[in-house]
Amino acid sequence: MVIEEKAKEEPRIGVYVCHCGLNIAGTIDCEEVTKFAATLPHVVVAKDNRYTCSDQGQEVIKNDIKENNLNRVVVASCSPRLHEPTFRKTCEDAGLNKYLFEMANIREHCSWVHLHEKETATEKAKDLVKAAVAKVALLEPAIETEVPILRKALVIGGGVAGIQAALDLADTGYKVYLVEKQPSIGGRMAQIDKTFPTMDCSICILAPKMSDAGHHPNIELLTNSEVQEVKGYIGNFKIKVLRKPRYVTDDCSACNECSEDCPVTAPNEFDAGLATRKAIYTPFAQAVPSTYIIDHDLCLNKENVMACDKCIQACERQAINFDMKAETVELEVGTIIVATGADIYDASAYLNYGYTRYPNVITSLEFERLINAGGPSGGSLIRPNDLEVPKSVAFIQCVGSRSEKGNLYCSNVCCMNTIKDSLLIKEHWPDVKIYVFYLDIRAFGKGFEDLYRRAKEEGVIFVRGLPAEIIEDSKTHNLWLIGENTLQKEIYKVNVDMVILSVGIEPCIDSDIIQRLFTLSKTSDGFFMEAHPKLKPVDTPTGGVFLAGCAESPKDIKDSVTQASASAARAGILMGQGKVTVEAITPKTIPENCQFCGLCAQVCPYNAIVVDKEKKIVEIIEAACAGCGTCGAECPFEALHMRHFTNAQIHAQIDALTEMNADKKIIAFCCNWCAYAGADFAGVSRMQYPPNVRIIRTMCSGRVSQKFIEHAFAKGVGAVLVAGCHPGDCHYINANHQTQKRVERLWKKMERIGVNKERLQLLWASAAEGERVASKVREMQTNLKKLTLDEVEKSKAAFSRS
Amino acid sequence: MPQKLWRKPLDAEKIKLPKPEIHIISDLCKGCGFCIEFCPKRVLEKSDKLNKRGAFPPEVVDESECALCSFCTAICPEFAIFTIEKKDKEDNQDGEKE
Repeated sequence: MVIEEKAKEEPRIGVYVCHCGLNIAGTIDCEEVTKFAATLPHVVVAKDNRYTCSDQGQEVIKNDIKENNLNRVVVASCSPRLHEPTFRKTCEDAGLNKYLFEMANIREHCSWVHLHEKETATEKAKDLVKAAVAKVALLEPAIETEVPILRKALVIGGGVAGIQAALDLADTGYKVYLVEKQPSIGGRMAQIDKTFPTMDCSICILAPKMSDAGHHPNIELLTNSEVQEVKGYIGNFKIKVLRKPRYVTDDCSACNECSEDCPVTAPNEFDAGLATRKAIYTPFAQAVPSTYIIDHDLCLNKENVMACDKCIQACERQAINFDMKAETVELEVGTIIVATGADIYDASAYLNYGYTRYPNVITSLEFERLINAGGPSGGSLIRPNDLEVPKSVAFIQCVGSRSEKGNLYCSNVCCMNTIKDSLLIKEHWPDVKIYVFYLDIRAFGKGFEDLYRRAKEEGVIFVRGLPAEIIEDSKTHNLWLIGENTLQKEIYKVNVDMVILSVGIEPCIDSDIIQRLFTLSKTSDGFFMEAHPKLKPVDTPTGGVFLAGCAESPKDIKDSVTQASASAARAGILMGQGKVTVEAITPKTIPENCQFCGLCAQVCPYNAIVVDKEKKIVEIIEAACAGCGTCGAECPFEALHMRHFTNAQIHAQIDALTEMNADKKIIAFCCNWCAYAGADFAGVSRMQYPPNVRIIRTMCSGRVSQKFIEHAFAKGVGAVLVAGCHPGDCHYINANHQTQKRVERLWKKMERIGVNKERLQLLWASAAEGERVASKVREMQTNLKKLTLDEVEKSKAAFSRS
Repeated sequence: MPQKLWRKPLDAEKIKLPKPEIHIISDLCKGCGFCIEFCPKRVLEKSDKLNKRGAFPPEVVDESECALCSFCTAICPEFAIFTIEKKDKEDNQDGEKE
C-alpha cells in the first residue's frame, strides 16, 4: 500500500555528481554538470562532492532525502556494477526504497575513456546525467522476494583447492558433496614431489588433508563422477552427477592381490605415463578413497562377456562386482564451489624442442614423477632412454607461456618450480651440471627470492635466452641446445644429457562444459572470470557459485588454498544467512493487454512463463525467472511490464540522449554482464575511444526490443550498437539468440526501406574484451562521419511512421 | 591438454606377466568360431587349413598378446583349445634372485 502511494507522488529528485578525487574531476567539469543537473525537470537538489561513496558523501544524500523530502536519487560517479549496492543501501538507510535510485556512469564510460577531450567529455557527462534523471523519474519502488538457501554445498574438483574448500565448509557445519572426475582426490598436488619455497614434501602435507576429507562426517565424496546437469538458482540448485562404476566395493582392503594377478597393463596416468598400471589398480599409494578401480576400457571383460576372473579369484574379501552400473545421483545444494583445476600445455606443439621425438626431452610434470620416491624410478634421477643418471641437465622455461606459439599469459608457477627442481637435483646429485634457460625469472612471492639466490649459490647456471632449437645426437641421445644468450649477446651451443621443458598451465580440458553448466564467463586466457577482479575475486557472475584454485587462473598451492578458504567463507556467509533476496527485476503481466499468443513463453530461457491459450491465463514463475527481459522485448502487445527496465524507462533514456545533436551520436545498448562490463574494463584500462557514444544498460541484450532501436532512429540518432555476451556465453542461457534474431530482422527492414544497415551494429564482447568495445566504437565513429543529414532525415521519417 | 601418454613406461621390462602358450587340437575343432569371436585380445583368427572334420580351425596370430584368461578353453564346445603358462629357465632364475 505505502509503496504504491509513494510511486504516485510527484518526483523530487536529488542528483549527486562525484569528483572521485581527480578520476572524474580531472577530465570532467563536475560543477558545470551539477549546475546543468539542477535545471533538469523534477530535480530538487543537485550537489557535487569529492567522494560520494565516502561516509560523508553518503551522509549528505541521507540528510537531503529527509530534509528535502527526496523520493528519487541519482548518483553520477562510477559503474553501477561497482557502487550501486552501496548507494542503494544509503537510500534504504534514509527510508527510501532502493529501487528509486539510478546511477550515471561518468567514470568508466566517460572521464577515463576520454582523458584528453575535456569539453566533449563534460557534455557527455551531462547527457548521461540527463538520461539517468529521465529514467529515475519513472522508476517504481519494489519489494524483493526472499529465497531460502539450502545449507548444503557442492564442490567440484578434488584437488588441493577443492579439498580445502570442502574441509572449511564441512568444519563450519555444512554438508558438502565433493565431486571428483578421477578415481582419487588429490589433484595435481599429489603428483608433485616437493613444494616451493619451503621444499615440503607435497604428498606428505596433502595426504592428511585427503584423509580428513575422506573421513569427515559432513563430506560425501563422489569420485569417478562428473556433474551432468545443473538447474535452479542461488540457494536452490538441483544437480545431477553421473557416478561411474568402480566395479570394486567399499569392502576393498587395498591389499593389491587383484592387481598382481591382472593380466593386462597400461601406462599410469598419475605417473605421467612413466610407470605401468594394471586394469584393476589404484592410481597411487595414498589415494582417497583407497578402494581399487577397474579400468573398463582396458579390462578383458566386456558388456555381458566375462572372459577373465583373475581379480575375482584373487580377492579374499569378494569386493569385486562386475554388475555395478553407472548411476545418476541427484543433489540439492545451496552453493557451489568450482575448483576444477588446470591441465598442462602440450609441449609437442614446439616442434623445435622435439618433445615426443627425443626420449630424453621430458616435461616438468614427468620430472616430478621421476624425482618422486613414489614414482617409477623410486626417486632416483634417471633419463628415459638408458635409465642412467644424467651428468648435465637443462631446464627450458616458458614452454607454452608468454609466447604467440603457446599461450600469451605467464603460467605463474614454472619459474619457482624449476628453481625448486634444480635444488632437488643439487641436494642428491651435487655433481650434475644444471642450466636454466629463461626469459625472465619471476620470483615475486614470499621466500621466493631467497630460493632463487640459493639456487645460484649452489651453482645452477641461469642463461637468459631460450634455445631456438634442440638437436639430438643420434648415437648418445644427448641433446644440443642452440640459442642466443641475450645478456651477453652471444650464441650458445650447449650439450646436455637431459632436457626438462617447463610446461605452462592451461584451462582444464572440460572447462567449456563447466562454463556451460554454470553459465560462467571466461577471460581471453580461457580461465573462469571472477565477478570483480579486486573486490570479488572468488565470486562468479552467477549467484551462489564461487571459484577456487587454477580454474580461475594459474596459481601455486598457497594461493589455491587461500582462495579455497575465501570461497568457502563466501559460500558460508550465504548459507549462514539461510536466505537471499532476489532483485526485483522480474516482469509483471498486464492481463488487459495480453492476447495469450505465447511468444514470451517461447523465448524464455528458463521456462518461467506459463501461457494457457484456452483458459487465457499467463503466469510468471518468479523463482525460476532470472530477469533477462527477453520476454518483454518479444511481447508485441505491451503486456509485460519489465520491472526496473520498463519500455517507458528505456524510451525516456533514449529521448534524453537524443534531444541534442542526435545525428552525431551512437546509442549503445549493452548487457550488464559482458558488454557493459567490457566497457567498464575499457574504462579501468584507460582505453580511449570517441566520446559520442551513449551507453544504456540492460540486464541482457535480449531485453533490447526492436522498438527501442526503431525509436532511437526515429529520434534521428546517427547509429545504434547492440552489444551482448558471445553466443554460448549468455548469462541467461541463450537469451542473446533472440538479440541476434531481432537485429537481423531489423537489418532486413532497413534494407527494405533504404536505410544504410551499417548504422545498426551487433557486437559480442566479453567482460574482458574492453578493446573490442573500444575499437567497435572507433569503427562506428569513422562510418558516422560519412553520414549525411539527408540519410538521417530519411531514417527518421521511415522509423517514425512505423 | 592432459599429459600425453606416448612413452613406453620405464618399468615396462620389469612388469612380469605370465608367458602364454596356446594349444589348439586342430582335429577336434568343428569350426564354430567362438574362441575367435570371444577372445578379448583378438589373438586368434580362422585358418585356411581344413581339418579331418571338414572345419577350419583357428590359428594363433600373436601368442605374446594372449592374457591367459583361458576364456577360449571355457567356451570351446569340443575341448579343442587350451592355454598354459610357459615356464622357462630365465624366469625361474630371476625368481630365485628376488
